[in-house]
Amino acid sequence: MNRREFLAAGVGLVGATATAGTLAGAVWPLLSREDLVPGQAPDVQLTPNAWPTADDRLSFVALGDNGSGGRQALAVAERMAITYRTAPYGLVALLGDICYYGNFRRRFDTVFRRPLGPLIDAGVGFELAIGNHDNALHFSDQGLSAIEAELELLGTPGRYYTTSQGPVDFFFLDSSIPGLYGPQASEQLDWLDDALASSANQWKVVALHHPPFSSGHHGSTPGAQERLVPLLSRHHVDLVLSGHDHDYERVEPQHGVTYVVSGGGCKTTRVGRSAFTAVSERTLQFLHVEVVDDLLTATCVRVDGSVADRFMLRAREGN
Amino acid sequence: MAAGFALAGFVVILVPAIAVQSGVFNAGVGSMDTDVLAASAAAGAVHVVLAWRRLLDEERIATRRLHVWIAALNALVVLALSASVLLLLVLFWFPDEHASLANRGFPVFLLWAGVQGVAVLLAEATARFFFWWLEPHRPPTLGPGPP
Repeated sequence: MNRREFLAAGVGLVGATATAGTLAGAVWPLLSREDLVPGQAPDVQLTPNAWPTADDRLSFVALGDNGSGGRQALAVAERMAITYRTAPYGLVALLGDICYYGNFRRRFDTVFRRPLGPLIDAGVGFELAIGNHDNALHFSDQGLSAIEAELELLGTPGRYYTTSQGPVDFFFLDSSIPGLYGPQASEQLDWLDDALASSANQWKVVALHHPPFSSGHHGSTPGAQERLVPLLSRHHVDLVLSGHDHDYERVEPQHGVTYVVSGGGCKTTRVGRSAFTAVSERTLQFLHVEVVDDLLTATCVRVDGSVADRFMLRAREGN
Repeated sequence: MAAGFALAGFVVILVPAIAVQSGVFNAGVGSMDTDVLAASAAAGAVHVVLAWRRLLDEERIATRRLHVWIAALNALVVLALSASVLLLLVLFWFPDEHASLANRGFPVFLLWAGVQGVAVLLAEATARFFFWWLEPHRPPTLGPGPP
């Protein structure tokens, strides 16, 4: 074997080894996990303002981690529009991570306007629990700029806020670190404590991105069970909605509070079972919730329209 | 041997589509679009034809058969890498452009097959370069000159 042959064969063998490792270890799993393939926007005509508007009724949807703009996000959005036809709702509670692969201001049409167009045109409102600014990104210029874009484009009043819809008081939190669990968390926790204490509505629903309880890829959020959960229990919160893990999981009531992860808005990851798990499933999904007086019925709808879970709650007493 | 390399190339072109489809399957999507699989199969078929013909030609003219297989190995590496990584980069860096195209009816099949077609061309160029580089280069011989 001469020098050229040796060199070319060496390049080939080293290249083959490195390529096999890179593809099997990183590239192919990424292609499988992410929602990168473009698709057709939902073409569904909806009757505007078709949802019930009585004081003791509310229908809404909880959707988490839907920000790819890809084929799977579009499929979930289409299923949401189809569900609206038979069970109309006037509100979508976005549970964070509404924009992957770039800045929300630039991607607004792709990740929000295009998939959710039929619902937007039908007059459905959107509320947001900030999610896509995990860890240190929260206080970076890039993170703050993205947060500002989200708040502005969705008309969200602040990083954390409360809103009343029919018989439900919603509390949307900013659970990005250090927003809720870090050393500077006391401001938001104090606000939540006061807001829950003064809540006069029949139902209290808290929405945040990072789940206090989860058996998914990220798992339960460190610090949540020590700092947030006691506060939620003390104020008799009925339901806590979160995303972050790309799956569906309902937790057995913890001191009376029901926790749900609804993060299958566009991609999925494995989910196991923990001692606190009632139902868990790896699936593209959203949660449809119907409140009538003191009865709440929630249905986890898979992207193919089948039902992954259904549960009912009675409103808890007390503040 | 030639058939083996051509088929190995077909497989590495097909794997990204299988990875995407497995993600869709795991996500519980009821009806799966198979356009990316079809696009990869089309690009793979083009590769099989090109590689097969090239390998047979090279086997015929090579001074050492080893040169053919070294060139084929390097081409396979470039093919495997570019068929997946090019695709990932193109999808990841230009998601809004693709969404806009898809909205206007541009088929994903063409996008996918086009990117993998580029990977096939890169692999062909790599094979030809290595084969040329490994083969002995005879100095040009002087002809008898003008009469």
